[in-house]
Amino acid sequence: MTTQTSLSGNGDQLKTLVVVFLRGGADGLNMVAPTHDDGYYRARPRIAIKASDATRLDGQFGLNPLLADLATPYRDGALLVLHAAGSEDATRSHFEAQDLMERAGEVAGGWLGRYLRFRGAVTSGALSAIAVSRALPESLRGAPAATVMRSLDDFVLGKNSGTLQAGLKKLYAAQADALGASARDTLDALDRIQRIRETTYVPAAGASYDRDEFAQGLKQVARLVKARVGLEAVSLDLNGWDSHLTQSAIMDPNMRRLNAGLSAFYRDLGKQMEHVTVVVMTEFGRRLAENSAFGTDHGRGSVMFVLGGGVRGGRVLTKWPGLTKDVLEGPGDVPVTINYRDVLAPILQRHSPQVDLAKVFPAYELKPQAVYG
Amino acid sequence: MNFSRRHFLQAGSAASVGALAVGCEKIEVPAALRIGPRTITMPEGPFATPSGKDIDLVSHALNRLTFGSRPQDYQRVRKLGATEEAAFAAFLDQQFMPERLDDPNCENAIRRFEVLQEPLGELFEYQEKHLLDALVRSTVLRAVFSERQLYEVMVNFWSDHFNIDPSKGDAKWLKVADDRDVIRAHALGKFPDMLRASALSPAMLWYLDGRVNKKASASDKPNENYARELMELHTLGVHGGYTQQDVMEVARCLTGWTVQETHRSKLNLGSVEFQPLLHDRGEKIVLGHVIPAIPKKAKPGEIERLGRAELDTVLGIVGLHPSTAKFIATKLCQRFIADEPPADAVSAVAEKFIASGGNIPATLRALFATDAFLTTRGNKLKRPFHYIVSALRATQATTDAGSAIQDYLLRMGHAPFHYPTPDGYPEKAAPWLGTLLWRWNFAVGLSNNTLDKETQINPEKLKASFATEENQMAHLLGRVPTADEITACKASGAPLALLLASPSFQKC
Repeated sequence: MTTQTSLSGNGDQLKTLVVVFLRGGADGLNMVAPTHDDGYYRARPRIAIKASDATRLDGQFGLNPLLADLATPYRDGALLVLHAAGSEDATRSHFEAQDLMERAGEVAGGWLGRYLRFRGAVTSGALSAIAVSRALPESLRGAPAATVMRSLDDFVLGKNSGTLQAGLKKLYAAQADALGASARDTLDALDRIQRIRETTYVPAAGASYDRDEFAQGLKQVARLVKARVGLEAVSLDLNGWDSHLTQSAIMDPNMRRLNAGLSAFYRDLGKQMEHVTVVVMTEFGRRLAENSAFGTDHGRGSVMFVLGGGVRGGRVLTKWPGLTKDVLEGPGDVPVTINYRDVLAPILQRHSPQVDLAKVFPAYELKPQAVYG
Repeated sequence: MNFSRRHFLQAGSAASVGALAVGCEKIEVPAALRIGPRTITMPEGPFATPSGKDIDLVSHALNRLTFGSRPQDYQRVRKLGATEEAAFAAFLDQQFMPERLDDPNCENAIRRFEVLQEPLGELFEYQEKHLLDALVRSTVLRAVFSERQLYEVMVNFWSDHFNIDPSKGDAKWLKVADDRDVIRAHALGKFPDMLRASALSPAMLWYLDGRVNKKASASDKPNENYARELMELHTLGVHGGYTQQDVMEVARCLTGWTVQETHRSKLNLGSVEFQPLLHDRGEKIVLGHVIPAIPKKAKPGEIERLGRAELDTVLGIVGLHPSTAKFIATKLCQRFIADEPPADAVSAVAEKFIASGGNIPATLRALFATDAFLTTRGNKLKRPFHYIVSALRATQATTDAGSAIQDYLLRMGHAPFHYPTPDGYPEKAAPWLGTLLWRWNFAVGLSNNTLDKETQINPEKLKASFATEENQMAHLLGRVPTADEITACKASGAPLALLLASPSFQKC
């Protein structure tokens, strides 16, 4: 049995899911603008993205110029955009909506944690789930072996532990059972991480990661993916999307980070993106109409991105409801026409064909979206 | 709950009630317990350690019936009888009467968590984070410091069996009461009593949606969540012989039980009520037993009486059912014997479960008397909680069970009260095999004193607990070390870390 097989249970087909959560309610309407919907321009006379500035995606939508680099994976067919997506939560409260989305309903534990428990593989490797943050996010609650990663230093066995590792190798060599096999895998993983730590990382294909936390987090993820340490799920946050006032001052830096981070990651991983799926989501979108402070208030539907992992990209998947008064919800919000679970479910199934989706998304009737065409 | 048990529970927790309980008329706090930490005289070494090449019966008992040996435990238990067998028997007698074991260390360790003694409604006055922290920490501290080890081991077992993840709804507050009034109250009591307490536990009514299981109008469909888990996980087991129809019928029997919720009311928060108007009054058939319809002409009081009684009827049908006996016996044998326990041991335990009316101590005594239990030693993988606690006990560590400990438990996916689904943390080894890296890291951190300043060992004192280094090794291994182990320890320069990380210390 190779290390990979026993660490992850899915051998050479090891797949890594990277969930990027845009906290604060990201304005999908200005990230992927409905440039052919008059309703959009009528409601946002001052802050709308002009069709001429946007990067055309299809006949209906254009990318915010600050996300223009995402057009590359989009044209490569590796980036799928979903619009008017989100959750059923209508409280428009950050806390409630994030909580619901990360748990997937009024249930215990997080959906990512339940996925790892019920994905059909009995054993989880020590490094199967990582949160690149300071605390374990709700979504990973209940996961087996979930690690909050501050740095790669978290994955070493004390300082100068060479002799200790030699002792462990010797004692576990005599263990013929599963515990022995697992110990040998773990010692292998430690060796690999040790090698990563000792070398300066040079991203492939000239990719370059910015200095911000988000890009650096993605860089660590890329290193771990390439080192094949059995990474199956990663949670990463990009915070601060709550653009009530002067929207561009709040959103623009974040969009730049998202654009640069994802682009570097995509370039760096190259062909390996086939085994890595990045999902970008947010708890809710913003109100269609701009407010008097050049901002937008809490709304409902927003965008989701799915990058890599064999997704059939180059499309904007949506049941676009239009932006007329009769379809807007509540105080004037884009309704949610695609539930985020229906985007996640087929991805989880592709990563782990044996996954028990009823346990991951309980009390919900799945209508999986055709993310793979 | 009989008097002695109630008294024991109050005494066990009274120290932690402390100042809050003073002046409160409802809870009697023995005066001796009100005056600050109790003084403890620690036994002094060097202590005798196991001398066999294999794990002897005393070490075996300490491995399985406790969360691991402290330096003094082997000698203490071995001295309880002239032979290993006699010592084991005497140890069992002690452990089955936890109320008679003085527990000053544990009382001192948990006295600060007075919130755990708050009556139901008062719990809502606290932040849920605070409650979860108190629950997790007191659970770890009790496992580490209590003399009532078998009781704590069974609390751990039943917490999984009747698992509730408090992150759901009002269970955030109510799990504290469930832990106290269901799990701890009955962990060494009678299974039918625990089952009934669980069925009427407001946290359980939240967690498995019993609170919304109602039949107010013809179109209402009962919520089957609790009914299904009651049979699948709490009693009969998934192959226990019930059908989907039985699930629906049981759900109908349980319609009308609700909880006062935070959303709706400020009065009697968390209290469980039976609402006759929400009860399905039709005839039901549960596992072949006919429960007659409540007569149309019945007066409100009569409806209430009959409706409430259906809960007891259902629990009476499933509580001591042969499938339940087999299911519980299998789980107990998995916990105490092996991941795949032999069938004859399971049958012996199941028979005693029924014959004793679900008496948990009697059932356990039958288990501990099986050949399978007595002879299958050192083969179970400790789950991460057991591993961490046993390492703290083995090294006589001081700890506050704070973030250093909780981080490790979270990383290994085994923090108390963090398991999302109602089946509870898995018992078998396979799901835990990926946790070695963190066990080894913990072993290193604990022996280097680099975890944090609240969790510390005293290496000199630990050394002084044993006459020789090899005796200390025997203490950690439960047997004398092999030549390989001695060489590896000497070569490593970190014998304590290596032994705590060694394969033998992962097992029990």
